[in-house]
Amino acid sequence: MADATARHDPYQDKLDSLTDADLAAILAELRRRLKAPEIAAAHTCIRCGLCADACHYYLTNGELEDVPAHKLNLVLGVIKHHFLPGGRRAGGWVGARKLDKAVVREWVDALFGRCSGCGRCTVNCTSGINIHGLIRAARGALAAAGLVPPELQSTVMTAVEQGNNMGIPRDEWLETVDWIQDELRAETGDPGARIPVDEKGARLLYTVNPREPKFFPLSLLAAAKLFHAAGESWTFSSDRYDVTNYGLYSGDDSCAGLLSGRLVQAREDLGAEVLVLGECGHGFASTRWEAPQWLNRRFGFPVKSVLEVAAEYVRQGRVRLDPSKNKKPLTLHDPCNLVRLGGVVEEQRYLLENAVEDFREMTPNRRNNYCCGGGGGQLAMTRFAKRRLAAGRLKAEQIRATGAMVVVAPCHNCIDQLTELGKEYGLGTEVKTVIEIVADALVLPRKNA
Amino acid sequence: MTALGTLRVLTLAAAGACLAGLAWLTARAFAFGRRVYLSEPRGRAGRGLLYAFGKGMADKESVSRHLPTMLGGVVYHTAIFAALLDVVWTALPVRPGPPPGVFRPVLLAGAVVGPALLAKRAAKPHLRRLSCPDDFFANLFVDVFLALAFLRTVIPSLETALLAVSILLFFYIPLGKIRHCVFFFFTRVVFGLHFGRRGALPGSESRA
Repeated sequence: MADATARHDPYQDKLDSLTDADLAAILAELRRRLKAPEIAAAHTCIRCGLCADACHYYLTNGELEDVPAHKLNLVLGVIKHHFLPGGRRAGGWVGARKLDKAVVREWVDALFGRCSGCGRCTVNCTSGINIHGLIRAARGALAAAGLVPPELQSTVMTAVEQGNNMGIPRDEWLETVDWIQDELRAETGDPGARIPVDEKGARLLYTVNPREPKFFPLSLLAAAKLFHAAGESWTFSSDRYDVTNYGLYSGDDSCAGLLSGRLVQAREDLGAEVLVLGECGHGFASTRWEAPQWLNRRFGFPVKSVLEVAAEYVRQGRVRLDPSKNKKPLTLHDPCNLVRLGGVVEEQRYLLENAVEDFREMTPNRRNNYCCGGGGGQLAMTRFAKRRLAAGRLKAEQIRATGAMVVVAPCHNCIDQLTELGKEYGLGTEVKTVIEIVADALVLPRKNA
Repeated sequence: MTALGTLRVLTLAAAGACLAGLAWLTARAFAFGRRVYLSEPRGRAGRGLLYAFGKGMADKESVSRHLPTMLGGVVYHTAIFAALLDVVWTALPVRPGPPPGVFRPVLLAGAVVGPALLAKRAAKPHLRRLSCPDDFFANLFVDVFLALAFLRTVIPSLETALLAVSILLFFYIPLGKIRHCVFFFFTRVVFGLHFGRRGALPGSESRA
């Protein structure tokens, strides 16, 4: 692997010493995930290669290994050999490949190391093959054999074992909330302003990325200001507030289901009407779209992005925004999991059009946005960091072309990557969330203490 | 029965075997199970489906960035379907009349475009490395078929050769990559429904 350091790496040892049992575990999990659409995909891909230009890895690196069809056919080849009629006999003639150690190495390098799961290849595929979905299925098969890169796996396990992916102790979380509540009172001038925790019967249960309490507490304050201004009935959970789900990235459906299931259970325990997901692209895709599959149940309650909730407030006149409070030219990054794969496209634009004076779209945008490069667990997988930053060059160029001084992204993963890109490519831009911008524009009635 | 008559019967039988093979592959695919979506839709799946087979056929970078290839592909596939129709028409025991004259330029265009697409696959290093032998063989096979289909419109005595190649082609279709003639539509349906229900495709957004 190009970015792997020369240090001794137990993960490489594991890849070197794969057993037949490991290979069998990979195949069994892959088979479990195959449904008619995946089999159809194996019959559909004609290797036209026209997906190449959709991939930010290929566009910045230009290697065959970065072409989505190449990554896809690493997976489809194994499916053809092991699961399709005639695959073994036809063999290389139709691109079928037996799973062996060499293939597993190629999988790890290409599927974990050269893909952020952004789905841009999928929507630009001539046939519409769910390329990123098949890549995730193969990641999940690798997970079944314990072959998730350890940095990513440790993020998953931290969340599983400690309740959030940053390992924040409950007391620390509650202290942060308490401190933010003081800030909220100071900012609003309302001594009665509250940040409710574990409040039963609140209308909304709000979930956040643990990076917010850890590194970006002003994001929490921004959301609290918004809910306060709207007169919303809402609450945090004291122990189940992590909207992230790195199981989506590792491909491990059981861990992913466990993590999303906690949020679902917290909503049920607190009796909230709506589960509101904070600004986290993959967290939205996980809990809004994938979790019902992972948990094998229909939810029967609304799961919404905070952007949808905020846009409703503005439309209904529950909050007033003053765009003159945000004068700097600003551009918007579309997180792939929220926009292209999630369908939340216009709410953030509606909010920004009402909250800033100079909003500039990147080109391309919306469904065709380029991935920032931080998704797919890339930020966690330090062994592939050089590739991640190189692949982010397209996004950096997009931002620079707008001339904006502020980049907003409704996703904390993206924010981390955009911040790194700012340093790497000398962008000199400030990076914020959409709700932070909205909170800055809020017109709050002052109440004296 | 004459030799030509026998070839015609065999052609129809091969076409039937081809359809049966494709149907068997489809049944095998469905035997893996369907995916039932359990999340509440945010958009309109039906609109997604319309998009997938309408505007969405052109509204993508694989089209806008590769217009000559995509136009070539459209011409090529139109010609293939026309040629298949022409062959079946030719093999039918009762025909209302000769095949429509419009087939001739379409077949010629396909016979020209096919080798061009093959040359592109062979010439571009990444595309060549991405390809498996079937990618070259299937293209070449179809090119020969299209060339014969066109030439037969000029030289009727080539009907025997055309039918012989057609029989082989019909048997090959379910075995190689040409099976995408069925599964392309399957995949496109899944794409439209999957992203349409999420409201992620243009026009599929919920009215609410």
